[in-house]
Amino acid sequence: MAEVNKEQLLNCALCPNMCRCECPVVQVLGREATAPAGKARLALMLEQGHLAWNEEILEAVSNCLGCRGCATLCPFPELNLGDELLNTRLKSKEAGIGLPACNPYLGTLKKFGSPYGQKTGTWPAANKGAEVLLFAGCTSTANNPASIGAACHLLDKAGVTFQLIDEDCCGYPAAVWGDEDLARQLAAENKRKMTESGASLLVTNCPECWLTFTEHYPEWNQEIPIQIIDGPSYYLQLIREGRLELKENELTAVSYHDPCIWARVAKKVTEPREILRAIPGLNIEEPYSSGEATRCCGGGSMFQLSFPQTAAAVARRRLAEFPKDTAIVTACPFCREGLLQEGRPVLELVELLAISVK
Amino acid sequence: MSDSIDTILQESYPDQVLIDDYAREAAKIVGSENVSINQADLLSTCRDYWPVNSIWMLEGAVPALPQLVTWPRSTAEVSKLLALANDKKIPVIPYGEGSGTLGGVIPLRGGIMLDLKKMNRIRSLDEENLMATVESGLNGALYEEQLNRAGYTGGHFPQSLRCSSVGGWLACRAAGQFSTRYGKIEDITVSLEAVLPNGTIFSGRSVPRTATGPRIDHLFLGSEGTLGVITSATLRIWPLPEKRYLASYTFERLEDALETIRLFMQAGTRPAVVRLYDAQETGNHFPELGNKRCVLILLIEGNTEIVEAEAAVIKKYVLARKATDTGPEHVENWLEKRFNISVASVLFQKGAVLDTIEVCTNWHNAHSTYLAMQKALLAVEGTLLASGHYSHVYPEGAALYMTTVGFPGDDKVNFYKNIWQAAMEACLAEGAAISHHHGIGLHRGLWMADEHGTGLLVLRRIKKALDPHGIMNPGKLGLEEARKWQK
Repeated sequence: MAEVNKEQLLNCALCPNMCRCECPVVQVLGREATAPAGKARLALMLEQGHLAWNEEILEAVSNCLGCRGCATLCPFPELNLGDELLNTRLKSKEAGIGLPACNPYLGTLKKFGSPYGQKTGTWPAANKGAEVLLFAGCTSTANNPASIGAACHLLDKAGVTFQLIDEDCCGYPAAVWGDEDLARQLAAENKRKMTESGASLLVTNCPECWLTFTEHYPEWNQEIPIQIIDGPSYYLQLIREGRLELKENELTAVSYHDPCIWARVAKKVTEPREILRAIPGLNIEEPYSSGEATRCCGGGSMFQLSFPQTAAAVARRRLAEFPKDTAIVTACPFCREGLLQEGRPVLELVELLAISVK
Repeated sequence: MSDSIDTILQESYPDQVLIDDYAREAAKIVGSENVSINQADLLSTCRDYWPVNSIWMLEGAVPALPQLVTWPRSTAEVSKLLALANDKKIPVIPYGEGSGTLGGVIPLRGGIMLDLKKMNRIRSLDEENLMATVESGLNGALYEEQLNRAGYTGGHFPQSLRCSSVGGWLACRAAGQFSTRYGKIEDITVSLEAVLPNGTIFSGRSVPRTATGPRIDHLFLGSEGTLGVITSATLRIWPLPEKRYLASYTFERLEDALETIRLFMQAGTRPAVVRLYDAQETGNHFPELGNKRCVLILLIEGNTEIVEAEAAVIKKYVLARKATDTGPEHVENWLEKRFNISVASVLFQKGAVLDTIEVCTNWHNAHSTYLAMQKALLAVEGTLLASGHYSHVYPEGAALYMTTVGFPGDDKVNFYKNIWQAAMEACLAEGAAISHHHGIGLHRGLWMADEHGTGLLVLRRIKKALDPHGIMNPGKLGLEEARKWQK
């Protein structure tokens, strides 16, 4: 189990928390216990042994979207509060404490390999042994299978031979809900299947899956022996190589919502915009916050399942930052889900590309 | 609580039966989702950024615990919640973002934390009269951001901008870093809406000035939650500045720089930022300038012609004192780093105790107060450093901001008390005021009688008249004894 870094927790707990204005959770809930330092102080008291686990404390330290909005103003470059809180929560299982809001989803995840339940949908025939492995991700599979179809269409158009596998959830939901054993089991199973696939390049459209493969799998001793690439970078590469040619579509103006992980961890803020600029006849209008300063859609850390009201409130707050008459384009299945709620057109980048490819 | 958390300053609690009754009735007012006895909520609202809280945190202790947290969403709900608490004589502590530095929100006698963070709207933006009416729970940086998006600025930039609320600014009579141009919060405030302990709501009139007796709403500026709850305010706003001019100069002697500032302020200039650092702080904050000279940084902004004229006038006074022009880049550095105070977290972990003590001087004692406070602080056993800067200036004087760091060994709280005792005695002996903008809270209440003389009796009578049951933030502002802390 990854250890809590007490020095970093102390840095946060003792700091005046100039970052709280960028924490979407405390801004929508108004609860001091969900401010960055509020959570850090509770985690510190648990770590000091002055506070015993109970559901109230676990719920408070679970109220982190992992969006790293706080990090944009943090004076401590080594501090990742989301990870410290995640590592703190892993200890709740030892204490026999779980969150009632998460337990049903953990049960579903154990049973079906997806927190959304039985997987449905039909994928193109497997090209076993193909060089490129497209990881669909359970959120896209459950909420927007069309985006996987769109990705497949793009790869076909580009002449890429690719394969899909009978994947399990990447394991991130299990980790954020405090069940590291389950997360490791899922990771081990995915690693086995990926290794056996014979692929040499893993493409993922979901930033949470990408983060889990690149950051958490090595921590769990499940490093994948395949090169991993984020969707935006891969599709841009295909465009630059001339393998995807783009044409006008019915959309004239779009705003790009930077998913937190792509923007702040993978630093992929120019790639999606270069893709958008490559589509003829498309105007790009930025929301108030963009690039690495983006604000969360409310979908991080599985909030759409475990804290749906908070997720929706965070999404509404983000939606207020967009120009009124544009379609929103994003590159994350959670962001799409969150930003859909007010009835605006929201597309994943792969879906926009699929309708723009010649 | 079955946990091993000490509550160091807890004096008492109201009977739990009263709290249970209150919780049931409050839920009818604000909804059960806005009333909490959740342990995480109680532990999180029990403190602010008073350094003593940090000392105790490292030891696994908290100052005191409330018994209930509630989140009103409107002035009407605040009114009902207060009337209910008044009826049951339960203490109420208004809570914003918890950025105070003097223990002002510690629930010494338990009771209710009235968290205002759900009152966070800008109710109106009056572009003709340049006023915004804003609810008190709105985070300061988010208030400024919303104004910026509409083309305006609120002109109020305390170092706590990102971690403080509009209500907190008003309740402690805050001052922002650009205050020499835009004014302190009392200059920016046109009117206030507040709720008295018995639930009475009143609003001041949003006109530039009145001669209709004392401004009752302005009585709440600096009241620190002891008289009632500030629920909204109408504040001045300004168009975003057309031009910004940055300059810095170094002086061999602090007193020469002070005299220069006096002259250009009395000549009528109003630069937004005027900050003068002693040699030690110059070396700490601007290492590229060394620690032998004192740096003055200036920022002028607003209408282009006025900015250029002010810059020319100030330059004339500065150069007449043989200052060295060190260019705009040091001001740019300051602008970039001005919200970074990570050093506090690091030093506390290393066993240090540090604090900042801001006072207000006139020009005639601006330098002597600095010398006296520095000498007094350095005389306290364990003190390693005592330095200072001047940050808010007026035609009549300036705010002096002393920073002190010590490594006292085990008895950190006693050391903390000793440095404050030394600093306050020196300040009072020089005739300076004991606070410029951090307020009083719990700790500085120890010197309120020295500061006010008979004025404190007047304040206490006002308190008694408005809050006869003493429910509002008891033990603060020096209005009554905080028994365990004063012991």
